[in-house]
Amino acid sequence: MLNLQKLTPLDDTALEEIGFTWHTDSDGSKYIADTLVGITEQEAEAYYAAANELYDMYVKAAEYVIENDLFFDLGIPFNLIDPIKKSWENDVHWHIYGRFDFSGGIDGKPIKLIEFNADTPTGLYETAILQWALLKHNEMDEDRQFNNIYQAIADNFRRLVTLFDDVDEFDERYDGWKILFSSVEGNDEEEMTTQLLQKIATDAGFVTANAFLQDVKFDEEGIFNSDGNNYEYWFKLYPWEDIGTDEPELAMLLGSIMNNQKAIILNPAYTLLFQSKGMLKILYDMFPDSPYLLPTSFEPLEGSYVEKRMFGREGANTKIVDASGKTVSEVDGPYGNYKPIYQEYTEFVKDSEGNHYQAGVFFAYEACGLGFRRGGKIMDNMSKFVGHVLV
Amino acid sequence: MKHLSTIGSAALLGSVGITVMSVLSGCEAQQEVPANRFLVIEQQANGGYVVVEETPTEGPNRAIIRETDGNGKVTERFMNEEEMKALAQQEYEKVEAGESALTAPPSDAGMGLAGTILAVAAGSLLGNMIGNALMGNKNFQKNANTSNKSAYHRSAANKASGKSSKKRSFFGGSKKGSSTTRSGSFGG
Repeated sequence: MLNLQKLTPLDDTALEEIGFTWHTDSDGSKYIADTLVGITEQEAEAYYAAANELYDMYVKAAEYVIENDLFFDLGIPFNLIDPIKKSWENDVHWHIYGRFDFSGGIDGKPIKLIEFNADTPTGLYETAILQWALLKHNEMDEDRQFNNIYQAIADNFRRLVTLFDDVDEFDERYDGWKILFSSVEGNDEEEMTTQLLQKIATDAGFVTANAFLQDVKFDEEGIFNSDGNNYEYWFKLYPWEDIGTDEPELAMLLGSIMNNQKAIILNPAYTLLFQSKGMLKILYDMFPDSPYLLPTSFEPLEGSYVEKRMFGREGANTKIVDASGKTVSEVDGPYGNYKPIYQEYTEFVKDSEGNHYQAGVFFAYEACGLGFRRGGKIMDNMSKFVGHVLV
Repeated sequence: MKHLSTIGSAALLGSVGITVMSVLSGCEAQQEVPANRFLVIEQQANGGYVVVEETPTEGPNRAIIRETDGNGKVTERFMNEEEMKALAQQEYEKVEAGESALTAPPSDAGMGLAGTILAVAAGSLLGNMIGNALMGNKNFQKNANTSNKSAYHRSAANKASGKSSKKRSFFGGSKKGSSTTRSGSFGG
């Protein structure tokens, strides 16, 4: 039985004052649920362990893909292969953060990997800040939440300078290198996610600035804002595969910038390998005995399965097919041109009203926080955010 | 707990924690006191005003207003904190009535003097609550940004590289969302 606890929600004005403006979905429903999922420490530890182990597996699988030149199988645009290899070769291209999506983990169900959002994960504000504010607002113990995301990401920004050494070395080694943060203009969620990351990096000790994507300037010498200031790091909350397909000249230029060691781009290009759902098949081939992996193939499976696209996001272009071959649930979307992959179907944990729950575990050097999405059989753009409390 | 870390204190959320705490407690006590400024505000050809120089100061807020009359003659006048406050207050009342250009989408018409002063120094003239509330408004942020051309605002710490000839922009304006909802998101 799922442990759900009712709580007093933060009103829209309070949410807006803390910068969270996307509180209402396009159908007028509230995006932040007025419940918390109660989980045990053991359940939280299990999510922590799963994300850490899976990250190590992703690293091994990426190594395998690069060594065996399997980029085409993963749907990687050809013009990003070089940037991916370049970023993989040198640790300075440090992965700042990602989010694993899991089914199970509560209500006695086993944890299974649904996918890894490694390149441009959102849901950050909700998980890192809002669910903690909900505990405070309801006068609950703020210590009872698996949530160290803010500090973990701050430390990971510092690792851009210290790499595998102690992050306390940062102050001594940091020499004023600047990070420029960019997102698309006009989408609140993406703008605020980018601003939050900028704040974290600033708190970590970096000099930072922001500019919308269209205001960033590039040449062989580096990456600049519209005033001509040069930045050593560029964080873009924008999918690598879209750069590859929609901005091929930029993809070329970014490759040169990396080759000339003029700037470091975050999240690194190799996170596109992690992001490709084709990796789910590579992982399953390499680690068939892992308890976290579902059988996955480039061909339709026997029995009930989920068809997804290599780079579909927000549940778009996802289809659930039952054992008789009948489609039982389907979400349309713009990703139909990418190749399909087929993953064995696993049902999300359900509450008494039939809502499904998917866990999202953030990863920044290690697993660092947990949040839930509540929705239908396919978690799409209308799914709700549900916080958690350790019971 | 063996491995799990939690947020035991708002301090662990850095600058964001301060904002959240001030909202949850409905008070502004924990906020930084905004620095006072010495401003040079210049009238533009379109009649609007922009800040061309901005210096933090220990003393009260002060400004020099540089205006050009119909014959092209430039005059400068001094404005003390009291006068600046009065103008900022007057503009803030327009904001509340929904009549201020500051909270409307940016336009080519330029910003009036009162609007420019409020845009630059709302917090230090009228207090943090009002300053923060205004900064939460997207149009205000954009207008505040275009109203301030000072090097201080543009981050004097960053050196311009001077190499601009071959620089290119991408994402040619087509990559714009238009929504306060989550549609168009790619969070996955």
